[in-house]
Amino acid sequence: MYFDIFCRIIQGDRTLELSNTAYLVGDKRNIFVFLLSKLLGVISNTIFFTTMRIFIWIVAMFMLTTACTIDKTDFESENNTVVPDDYEFKEVVSIDKGSYHIRVEALHGKLYKGYNEIRLRITEATTQAPIQEGKVTFLPVLTTLEGNKETCPNQYALTYDKAEEVYKGFSVFTQESTQGDWKITITMEDDNGTLTVSQPIAVEKQVNKNLNMTSFIGSDTESYLIALVAPLKPKVAENELVAAIYKLDSSNTAVGENDPTFKDKYVLAEDYTLLLDPRMPEPSMGNHSSPHNKDLVQKEDGFYYGIVNYTMTGNWTLNFILLNKAGLILKGTKVPTDFTPGVEGKKSELFIDTLF
Amino acid sequence: MVMRILTTLLILGYSTAVLAQETKIKQDSVSTVLEEISMLVEKKKKIETEMKMAVSVDEFLASSEQISFIKRGAYAWEPMLNNMSTERSTLTIDGMHIFGACTDKMDPITSYVESNNLSTIDIKSGQEGGMHGSTIAGSIDLKRKTTAFGRSNPWAGGYQTGYEFNNKQFFNLANVSFSGKKLAGDASIAYREASNYKDGNNDEVKHSQYKKFNTSLGLAYKTSELSSVRLDAIFDVAKDVGFPALPMDLWLSRAIITSLSYKQLFEDQFIKVWDTKVYYNAIEHYMDDTTRPENLVHMDMPGWSTTYGLLSKANFKQGNYSSELQLNAYNNLSIAEMRMYPQDRTERTMFAYSWPWVTTTYAGLSLNNTVEFSEANRVNFGGSIGVNYNYSKYVDFNWIFHPGAPQEKTRFLPSLHANYEIDVNRFNFSIGAGYGHRAPSVSEAYGYYIYNSYDRYDYIGNPDLKNEISNEINASVGYKDQRFSLQAKVNYFYIKNYIIGRILSLGSPMNYQSVGVKGYTSLDYATLFNFALTADYHILDNLHWKGNVTYAKGQDNTKGNLPFIRPFSYNTALHYSYRDFGIQTSVHGDLKQRDFSPEYGESLTPSYTVWNASIDYTFYVNNFKAVVQVGAENLLNEYYSTYADWGNIPRMGRNIFTSFKINF
Ligand SMILES: [Cu+2]
Repeated sequence: MYFDIFCRIIQGDRTLELSNTAYLVGDKRNIFVFLLSKLLGVISNTIFFTTMRIFIWIVAMFMLTTACTIDKTDFESENNTVVPDDYEFKEVVSIDKGSYHIRVEALHGKLYKGYNEIRLRITEATTQAPIQEGKVTFLPVLTTLEGNKETCPNQYALTYDKAEEVYKGFSVFTQESTQGDWKITITMEDDNGTLTVSQPIAVEKQVNKNLNMTSFIGSDTESYLIALVAPLKPKVAENELVAAIYKLDSSNTAVGENDPTFKDKYVLAEDYTLLLDPRMPEPSMGNHSSPHNKDLVQKEDGFYYGIVNYTMTGNWTLNFILLNKAGLILKGTKVPTDFTPGVEGKKSELFIDTLF
Repeated sequence: MVMRILTTLLILGYSTAVLAQETKIKQDSVSTVLEEISMLVEKKKKIETEMKMAVSVDEFLASSEQISFIKRGAYAWEPMLNNMSTERSTLTIDGMHIFGACTDKMDPITSYVESNNLSTIDIKSGQEGGMHGSTIAGSIDLKRKTTAFGRSNPWAGGYQTGYEFNNKQFFNLANVSFSGKKLAGDASIAYREASNYKDGNNDEVKHSQYKKFNTSLGLAYKTSELSSVRLDAIFDVAKDVGFPALPMDLWLSRAIITSLSYKQLFEDQFIKVWDTKVYYNAIEHYMDDTTRPENLVHMDMPGWSTTYGLLSKANFKQGNYSSELQLNAYNNLSIAEMRMYPQDRTERTMFAYSWPWVTTTYAGLSLNNTVEFSEANRVNFGGSIGVNYNYSKYVDFNWIFHPGAPQEKTRFLPSLHANYEIDVNRFNFSIGAGYGHRAPSVSEAYGYYIYNSYDRYDYIGNPDLKNEISNEINASVGYKDQRFSLQAKVNYFYIKNYIIGRILSLGSPMNYQSVGVKGYTSLDYATLFNFALTADYHILDNLHWKGNVTYAKGQDNTKGNLPFIRPFSYNTALHYSYRDFGIQTSVHGDLKQRDFSPEYGESLTPSYTVWNASIDYTFYVNNFKAVVQVGAENLLNEYYSTYADWGNIPRMGRNIFTSFKINF
């Protein structure tokens, strides 16, 4: 737009000239029109053209200035640099069995170590009509390199979502496929009995550090697992932090998926408390922390909810202390709270690193 | 067609123009009109001091006893009016609001002008300064040069150059003005360059260099016998400016300040002048810490500030009553970013906003009235009502410390003031009172981890801060005869909800130099008392003495001292002229700062005395008047720093200066 007028001025476009006699000084009721006419009066004057070079110089200066020397940060896309900006559920694998078509979906169409939301779309193969309100189960099994069978924290009985016509669940994969072979087993009850399908799957390294997990043995000698569930994509803001905390049931002696209790090897840790102290580990940040964080406590859905405030983008460490019902420390240590520039921040014995 | 006109107007208005108020139309049929309103305008002071004829804007301001400075180096001093920092005063250029783009206050508005494009600086104390917008401390309005139409010699100009030995400052200032029957214009250009200065121990103060380029242009066209339009622009670039008291320097700062104004005079009517202007200014500011290898973290801290505004004012006069009505509206967007680089540069950078895209929109109407009961006594009274609206685009940043704080906030800012003046023989007395609100500044309300290297805290703004409310009384007594004059002024401010940073027990610092986090909070109240005594004595026709002393005290609600309150200060100057020579000498200093504030990071500053002297010689080259001047500041090379020197950096040691000026 500036360029346009700039060119017209250079070419001496006299269309800019307009008569200003229509509005006399006496007729000032419409101040704006009056002002306008006065201004145009000046523009129309040839004097304007004699001072053109200076004018153009100012315009040039202005355009130079409005075009900033350094661009402003595009904050909306700033967060996309390390966290994938892809929230779409895509197909991981499709299985055709009998007259059914089963499509397994996850974010990016891949399964990663840590927490994964799983969606199953089951349709009648020929009509493509969705199968509604079915009884569907989902169970991942890992055969380790040593040949042992393991499972993982998992929603066994999937929940049907009427609106989206999908069966929803989740799995927390404990290992990547480099540590063994993962296989999923899906069952579905229909009029003809139970349909069972098995399919090998690949579990990849977690690409989103905000869904990292950790497993450990607590002071009660039990095995625990903590996986981050949300936020997928944190903001420089107050973020609701959601974690899944599981305990390996030591009394469960099932050894393979043929054992009906095998699916219950991991049980939800009930009524624990996860104390939170987020800090930036980078030495130059001097153990920087944030205010108004809230420890994680369990809600009705079994997951643990708290609040983490991230004061800026970058690497963060969520330092945890896990307490049991009685308030005993199962794992984790208090970290120093003082500001120590130049020194890498000490981490709790129990921590998960995030990055956004 | 209308759209096209409108677009043209907008482009012109917002892109190039500026307007000038004060289009003087002397020697003209309307001069009588102007004379009538001239009483409303302060007497103009030339931009030079007693000591020095070639001064920077800062040096000129420093010659006012109402102004003190926070200094972070040799450049861009932050003016304090009535011992209050820039948040509490309105700083304008010809009434235009401009907001610095630096979170560390490296760029007060005074840094965007140059002495050769200003005609004078109008300082008003307290609520009397509320015409341009809400204030507590008063207003500082930088008035640009505007040449009147129809001057007898159409072309005039001046050129100044000089060299200052201490910091190897070399400057060249030129200005030219044209005055025709229909067209008048002013243009100026200036360049200054200085190296590091040396303190009183002859040690170099590192990072105190600067380079500044400034140019301005004003064009006025007489549209009728009684009206004119004016287009003004200032373009200013500062580069490689060191701030020894801060952990970083300025790489580049640029400002474009433009306005387009229309002025209409009226004959034989109640309304005398109507002056309207639209303006636009944009500032970009980029700091640089790569010159400081001692820094642990490399940081980028760019800032931007853009303001659009409208100012419309009218002067009225009838009999012994005169008044000024002013409408002010502006919209400002302030953005400041910080990006920290980890030691391992392959790692992710850390980013946050220190000003999360904060919009301030203000609209206010102010009125000032004067009634002259007689030649010797008059009353001034007035007031204003303003609406201040803030919007923080990335309010998440503010929510970290203030969860749930509103993203938008509207405030009403009323003010009232009155004063009565009476002359009794050679004495004059005045007494006045004022009441006014101000909204918190962008940093105070929305700032996020802004590092203050003075007390070494990171500051967090609070969007919910209450308006600061000032109650003020002032008085002055003066005596004047042909040779001698004496003037005493006092004022007292009782400021409710005084905004100041207090240590937060929350969070931890982000900037590696800092020791903790402070949040802006409101004290119940604070009080400020200012006293100034100035005297002037023409001992002989060619021997002139001037002196002043000031005293101030500021206390918070627990009787603790407020920071940056000037201790008892004095200044005495003698000027002697003999034929074409002028000789002047001055001594000024502060006493020991007894009432310092350890709570706000201050330590005791000892007293100091500085002695200056200069000599000038006036001569004519082809009928053009020329002056040369040689002088020295801090003749005794005293090593000192003042109460308001950020980080107690030492001031300049002995500085020999030379300058040459020619007018044609
Ligand atoms: Cu700065």
